Amino acid sequence: MRVSSTITFGKLLIAPAVLILSIHSAIAEDQTVNRMIASQCAQCHGTNGYARGSYPDLGGDEAKDLADHLYDMKGEDRPSGIMDHQALGYTDDQIRRIAQYYSTLPENGGD
Amino acid sequence: MPLTRRNFIQMVPASAAALTLTGGAKAAEPIHHVTVLGGGFAGCTVAKYLRMWSDGEIAVTLIEPNSNHVSCIMSNLILNKRLKTTDLTFEYNDLQVKYGVEVIHDRALRIRGPQKQLRLKEAGWVSYDSLVVATGIQFDKIPGQDFRKVPHAWIAGGQSNNLRNKINRMPDTGTFVMTVPKAPYRCPPGPYERACIVADILGRRSGYLDGSSSVAPRVIVLDANPGIMAEKGTFTSAFNDLYGDIIEYIPNAQVESVDSDNLIVNTSQGSFAGDVLNVIPTHGAQNILRVSGLTGDSRWADVDPVTYASTNTLFQDVYVIGDAQGTGQPKSGHMANAQAKICADSIIRTAHGLSSYTEERLQNITTNSACFSPITYDQASWLTAVYSYNPDTGSMGLVPGSLGEAHNWSSRNFNDMFTWSDNLFADTFK
Repeated sequence: MRVSSTITFGKLLIAPAVLILSIHSAIAEDQTVNRMIASQCAQCHGTNGYARGSYPDLGGDEAKDLADHLYDMKGEDRPSGIMDHQALGYTDDQIRRIAQYYSTLPENGGD
Repeated sequence: MPLTRRNFIQMVPASAAALTLTGGAKAAEPIHHVTVLGGGFAGCTVAKYLRMWSDGEIAVTLIEPNSNHVSCIMSNLILNKRLKTTDLTFEYNDLQVKYGVEVIHDRALRIRGPQKQLRLKEAGWVSYDSLVVATGIQFDKIPGQDFRKVPHAWIAGGQSNNLRNKINRMPDTGTFVMTVPKAPYRCPPGPYERACIVADILGRRSGYLDGSSSVAPRVIVLDANPGIMAEKGTFTSAFNDLYGDIIEYIPNAQVESVDSDNLIVNTSQGSFAGDVLNVIPTHGAQNILRVSGLTGDSRWADVDPVTYASTNTLFQDVYVIGDAQGTGQPKSGHMANAQAKICADSIIRTAHGLSSYTEERLQNITTNSACFSPITYDQASWLTAVYSYNPDTGSMGLVPGSLGEAHNWSSRNFNDMFTWSDNLFADTFK
């Protein structure tokens, strides 16, 4: 199966309408790349961003909210928390991709 | 059904076609079959994500000799009885039922790269399409070390209980002697964390830490490395201040031999006797990688971090992830999970005839590490880092600024440690 620029293989095929709506600003992006980089959050924030316990859910977050939150942590003058350091590990574009990916997932997917 | 060479190959597509996948998706006819060796953090994550991300288009068979996995992560807490091995034991049911991974309990002995064949102890030679090797570590043999008398407790399970029982029975003001293997080794902060936990156990039990006794127990840490290898600020402070009268840290101590009956370890810095001896041998990739030629002259398998495929051209479609690979990233369960996702993505792309080397993908290959280290009975520190692929060097490098460690140990960190591990365990095994 070949993939197009907006619709791709695997799980993402399930909700193409959601995808197309949400990636209008990044129409040519490879969504599997965004999925791959976003999956690196799952070790702490749960598979597909549905966390257990007190860690925040990421799945279903508004892209702008999540990206802004990460940009804020990345911009800390004196990084002190785990997430301050984690945010410093990603370029602004990578943060945008992570946030964009989680915004395509349903908010209640962990239930 | 007994596993034979013939039905091993036949049963995979047959069982995969009958799967019920999560998310209500219709089970697809497999387009590719991946065999995974090893059911630890690396192997289980790659198996789960291959199934989940391919929506069942890739059939996965996981081969693991044991019926379950005991997590090394958190296993130092078995020593102070905060946890039991059963708390850290994970079955393969979820991988089988939720994700449709076929699990076979057998031991892999050898890989023939050019023939794309694998020798299993029970089933004999079988063929593979793609093979992911996630078999963890193997210890070097130290002359005289009998693991029953001088446990390593560096692969969790019975060894963890063995060491806990020995600590339990030793005199309150006795001497505990442990060794730190030459880097790279599994879990860089782990040995120093262990030293703190044992110092805490003995310090409390003897009454030294609360001032009710003036006789300090001793914890001697013999490090094969020139200095503390992780969370240097935290452990230097814990060793010098919190446990200053208990812990004695000796760097550049290479283990030469062990007297298991008299509990003496002989090192390049002298001989040390203890009431309990905990010698963690230097380690490398499992023997199957070495005898098959995957490690070459190294202790670890050289791989391309874009795909985790072996760089040995005799091993087409063979990938190595987790502690066995030699990219230089820290060896930990968290990292193994991270690498498994990069590898799974690459295998799925290959199965669809897509390149893993698009500019877009090369710019976005990252892994990360985060871990907590208990320092006392109810306080912990943490360490974190992000690694990113550098197309110019073809290697993973630490992203500047991303390396951080806790400013101090705290009970809040201790509580967060359980949330972290709960999520990591779920992302891997559930």
